[in-house]
Amino acid sequence: MLRDFPRKIGYDDPLEIYLSRLESLLLSDYKISRRSVSLLLLQEDKDMLSAVKEKEGQRAGEILSIIQEARAHYSQPLTYIISLRRQREASRISNAVTSVKEGHRPSLRDYFSRILMDPLIGGPILLAVLYYGLYKFVGGFGAGVLVDFLENTVFDKYINPFMINAVNSAIHFKLLQDLLVGEYGIITLGFRYAVAIILPIVATFFFAFAIVEDTGYLPRLAMLIDQLFKKIGLSGRAVIPLVLGFGCSTMATMVTRTLPTKRERIIATLLLSLAIPCSAQMGVILALLGDSPAGVIVWLGVIIFVFLIVGFLAAKIMPGELPTFYMEIPPLRLPQLSNILRKTASRLKWYFLEVLPLFIMASVFIWLGQITGIFNAVVNILKYPVSWIGLPDKAAVSFLFGFFRRDYGAAGLYDLKREGLLSGNQLVVACVTITLFLPCIAQLLMNMKERGLRMGIAMSVFILFFSFGVGYLVNIGLTLINIHL
Amino acid sequence: MNLRKIAIVGSPNVGKSVMFNNLTGEYATVSNYPGTTVEVSRGKGKIGGETFEIIDTPGMYSFLPISEEEKVARSILLDENPCIILHVIDAKNLERMLPLTLQLLEAGLPLIAVLNIADEAKDLGMTIDTAKLEKELNIPAVATVSTTGEGLDVLRGKIEQYVKRFS
Repeated sequence: MLRDFPRKIGYDDPLEIYLSRLESLLLSDYKISRRSVSLLLLQEDKDMLSAVKEKEGQRAGEILSIIQEARAHYSQPLTYIISLRRQREASRISNAVTSVKEGHRPSLRDYFSRILMDPLIGGPILLAVLYYGLYKFVGGFGAGVLVDFLENTVFDKYINPFMINAVNSAIHFKLLQDLLVGEYGIITLGFRYAVAIILPIVATFFFAFAIVEDTGYLPRLAMLIDQLFKKIGLSGRAVIPLVLGFGCSTMATMVTRTLPTKRERIIATLLLSLAIPCSAQMGVILALLGDSPAGVIVWLGVIIFVFLIVGFLAAKIMPGELPTFYMEIPPLRLPQLSNILRKTASRLKWYFLEVLPLFIMASVFIWLGQITGIFNAVVNILKYPVSWIGLPDKAAVSFLFGFFRRDYGAAGLYDLKREGLLSGNQLVVACVTITLFLPCIAQLLMNMKERGLRMGIAMSVFILFFSFGVGYLVNIGLTLINIHL
Repeated sequence: MNLRKIAIVGSPNVGKSVMFNNLTGEYATVSNYPGTTVEVSRGKGKIGGETFEIIDTPGMYSFLPISEEEKVARSILLDENPCIILHVIDAKNLERMLPLTLQLLEAGLPLIAVLNIADEAKDLGMTIDTAKLEKELNIPAVATVSTTGEGLDVLRGKIEQYVKRFS
C-alpha cells in the first residue's frame, strides 16, 4: 500500500526521533501513513488525538507523554517548526521547476488592467461602461423595447382582457374579482409587475452585470473607487460591500461583517440603506428615466452628492484611523458567452422565484388592507409627504410598495409614468426619493440583525425623513432655477 | 455496484469546481456533508472506460484543519477511500500551494498534481517544468486550464494510467 511508503520530508533530528517513537506505537489503521498521523498528533490535531485515544488503548498514555516531551523540547509551537520546514521544501521544489522569464514584457492585458485602475483614464471608462452597459442596454433596450412589448402588446392586448373576462364570468363575488383582477389584483398587478416590468429589466441587467463580472472588471473598479474614497476620508475597505450593494443591498449588509471596525460597519450599512440602489431597483429607475438623459444626470448627481456628503459627515462624526486597503487583483479575462448565459439564467431563476410570490403576497395584503381600510389610511398619511415633494397623490401607493421591495415601488412609479401622470421633474424627484427611501423589509431586518435593534430603527427613521427632505429640496431647487426636465 | 472515487482537493479559488464540472458533465448532486452545513458536490465521470464517482471537496489550505470546510475535506479523504486525489494548484502560486501537496504525500495518499490556471502563469512569464516536478514529487503532474479545457485529456490519460498501476 502507498500509505506504507509515504514520501518523507526530513525534519531535524530531535523531531525525527519523536516521530519514529510515535510511529512505533501506532498499531491501528488510520487510513493515512503513521508518519502523517504522528505529525498531526505533534501539532495537537484534536480529531487525531481522540482517534488515537480510542484506538490505541493503553499505549495512548505513552503517546501523550511523547507529545508532551516533544513540545517541551522546542521553544516555538511545533506547528510552526513543521510548517517552516515543509515550506522550505516547497520553495526548493518550486524554484527547481519554475523559471521566470527575466524582463518579461508587460502584456497588453497588464497594460489594460493598469489603465482601468487609473483615475484619469479609468474614470471615463467607468462612465462609458455605465452609459452603454446600463443606460443604453438596460434602460433603453430592456426597459424600453422589451417592457413596451410585454406591457402594451402581451399584457394589455391579450392577457389582461382575457383574464379579466374569464375571472369575471367565472366568479361573481366582487371581492374575489378584485383579489384576482382588480386594480391591485394578483394577475393584473402582482403577476404583471413581475413578468412584464421586472423580468425584462432584471434579465438585461443581470446579463450586463455578468459580462462585467466575468471580465474581472469589478475588483479593478473597487481599486479605482478606493482611490476616490480615500480622498473624502472614507475607508477603502468599505468598497467591497458597497460595490456588492449594487447587486443586492441586503446581502451586502451582511458582508459589512468583513469590515474591521464598528465605525466602518455603521457607515457602510447606512450608505447601503440610503444611497446604493440594488440591481433590480436601479434597472427600473433607469427605465423610468430612460428617455430623459438630463433626468439621469440630475438623479445620478443628487445620489452621488448625498452619498459623498453623508459618508463624509458620518466619517467625521465617528472619527477613527484609516485602514489600508489591499486586494488581490485577478487577471482580466475575455468573458465566455456560455458562462454569462448560465450565470444570467441561474440568477434570474433565483430572483424570479423569490420575487413572484412576494409580488403576489403584496397583492393579497393590499386586498386585505383595502377591505379593512388600513391600506387607504396608510396611503392617506403617505399622501402628505408625497405631495410636499410635488408628486401626485397616486404616487403614495408606490412608496408604500417600495417598503415591500424597492423594485416593486419603482415599478409602481413606472406604471404612473406610462399613464402620463408624472412630468419630467416629478419623475426625477420620485426617483431620487425612492432611491434614498427606506430599504425593503429584508434589508430593514438585516440592518436590525447586524447593527442591533436600536441602530436599525434609528437608521430607518433617519432615512425616512432624509429621503423626503432631499426630494423636497430637489423639487424646490429645480423649480427655483426654472428647469423643466 | 460501488464506484471507485476520485476526490478533487485544493485551496479555494483554484478552479476546483470548473475542473469538477469538466470531469463530470451534467449530473451532479449537491448535499450537506453529514452532520455539517458544508456542501459537497458529487457527480459521475467516465475516464478510460471506467465510471468514477467524482467528489468536489470544500477548499482546504492545510491537512491540519482549522475551519469546518477543511475538516470535511479531510474527512472525505480519510473516510471515503478515494482511489485518486487530484490536488488542484494555482500554477501562479506553486510555492504557496506545494506545502499541502507535501502533506498529502506524507500521508501516503494517491495524488496527482494538477497545475491549473496555467495560461495565467504563462502570461506572467512563468514556465513550470512538469516533468521535473513529477520527478521531484514522484507523482504524476499535469498543466491545465480548466476554463478552456486545455490539458484535460492529458489529465484523463494520467488518471487512467495511475489507476491501472495501483489496481
